[in-house]
Amino acid sequence: MSNSKLITLQQAAEVVKNGSIITFSGFTIWRRPCSFVFELIRQGKSDLHLIEINSGPHSEFLIGAGCVSIWESSWIGHETYGKYGANLSRRIKNKEIIYEDYTHFEMGFRFLAASAGMPFIPTQTALGTDIHNPEYDMLGRAGLRDGHNPKIPKKKYEIIEDMFFQGGQQVLLPAAKADVAVLCVQQAGTGGTVRIEGQFFADPEIARAADTTIVIAEEIVPEEYLRREPRLNTIPGLIVDYIVEAPYGAHPTGMSGFYDADGDFIRNFYMQTRTQEGFDEFAREWIHGVSPKQYLEKLGASRLVALRATRAMGFGARTDKG
Amino acid sequence: MQAQKQTKEAEFTLADLMTVAASREVADNEVVFAGMGMPMMAVMLAQKTHAAHLKLIFEAGTFDSHPVSLPTSVGDPRCETGSSRSSGLCETFFLAQRGYVDMGFLTGTEIDEYGNVNTTVIGDYLDPELRLTGSGGNPDINSFARRIVYIMIQEPRRFMKEVSYITSPGWRVKKWPSGQFVHRRELYGSAFRGGPSAVISTAGVFRFDQQTGKIYLDTFHPGQSPQSIAMLCQFDLDLSRVRGETQAPTPEDLYLIHEVLDSDEIFLPKARA
Repeated sequence: MSNSKLITLQQAAEVVKNGSIITFSGFTIWRRPCSFVFELIRQGKSDLHLIEINSGPHSEFLIGAGCVSIWESSWIGHETYGKYGANLSRRIKNKEIIYEDYTHFEMGFRFLAASAGMPFIPTQTALGTDIHNPEYDMLGRAGLRDGHNPKIPKKKYEIIEDMFFQGGQQVLLPAAKADVAVLCVQQAGTGGTVRIEGQFFADPEIARAADTTIVIAEEIVPEEYLRREPRLNTIPGLIVDYIVEAPYGAHPTGMSGFYDADGDFIRNFYMQTRTQEGFDEFAREWIHGVSPKQYLEKLGASRLVALRATRAMGFGARTDKG
Repeated sequence: MQAQKQTKEAEFTLADLMTVAASREVADNEVVFAGMGMPMMAVMLAQKTHAAHLKLIFEAGTFDSHPVSLPTSVGDPRCETGSSRSSGLCETFFLAQRGYVDMGFLTGTEIDEYGNVNTTVIGDYLDPELRLTGSGGNPDINSFARRIVYIMIQEPRRFMKEVSYITSPGWRVKKWPSGQFVHRRELYGSAFRGGPSAVISTAGVFRFDQQTGKIYLDTFHPGQSPQSIAMLCQFDLDLSRVRGETQAPTPEDLYLIHEVLDSDEIFLPKARA
């Protein structure tokens, strides 16, 4: 038994148990661990509690496949490539999933609290909205705030008065505690050190908020290489439990410095999966029985080249308008 | 002078008119939060016309950006070009909550006469007709910026007496746990800085009364009239302060939109004969 953190995509997905509370890196259609999510679906995970600052195509894959029983987030969609999360929308309408709404800042602050070991955090955002309607505490309505799962808070929020500066109403939000965080990044060292290129979104926070952190990287590089200039690193290796090498592991979402989001793929997915039959057809074509290598072969070299970022700008140059 | 520079109706689209109207809401040197699509186009147009020193913040983590290639979302590396700093969500959230943001451009699905906006659900939250994206940063930016400009599609089902779900706070909001309506100032305490200041719809430009927080019509777009717009609202629209027709884009505005900012027509297709 070596102490290496390097495991396969399949082994990494096995770390996630049915019923786990799971969260992911990235922002809407950028740096989402899609290859990992496809493996979770192939392994037939169930009853996952997805907790995210915002959701995107990767969440829609998991929800469409029926792996998720609780969605707790602030937003789901595909940016320019699809108006809303059609799979979540369908499952909510059919009462097949529990949904819990917070705002974007609220979810960010909740992860910040969890990442710092704080039980809760105050904010003045979204006062007076239906986000705080007591009737819309959906985990409470489902009887899940009974302490049975110690990571699910006893209350959705609490409103207090600022007792220090007379600043008025404050909303106290519970820490967002997760069992597993899965990050999708440009580089990880063999010792787990993470170097994110460009915006790091809330990845440092979610990595610390979870009990187990898995990093999916475009490149696994020698640890010594990343330690030559530690100021450029984003996350210390000591909080990373496992690393996995998966080139194009975020596709169809984008990876700054490596490739753009695949807008056509995401738009087609959104259009096709507005029905469950459509989703099942998508999953048969792109997920079930398709290895990560076969997935890339199916996309084809010319498509991947077209998505490639330039080293100068970090995004695709779009000079070929043909 | 201004009239001579204006263009004829057939030379611009409704989207062009709305983008230009939105860009006029920003002043130079202001710190602005903008989402993708028309909001970003409006801000970038303002940067190239009357607000060269405007500071653009994208929610995902970039500060004072100067994109050279049009981003498709705020997480796009295109947002980082020329920025003063690129980091992450907590930093943009803190900066907004701390009070650095002058204005935000947002969109909504439904709006009511006090500027409350819904982007969460059509129908009953507990038994929805259609579940939408959810809040995202809409209520957050709205809570902390001094002014908010909403860009909306004008339809009776979207301009409602009361929205079915308040995602983002207007001037009269719900005080929990009772849900009783109170003025926004009463709830926000030290964080109160303002609220919705204008709505730019597909039919006209609306503003809000400083005292009552109620919406009124300011200008109507070409082809509309105050009466036709009143028909497109479920509440009684205040028409007592209408100034006239919405100012048309200038040839320079149209050149900047279509030849400089969005020459690939990603967000704003050109007017077709």
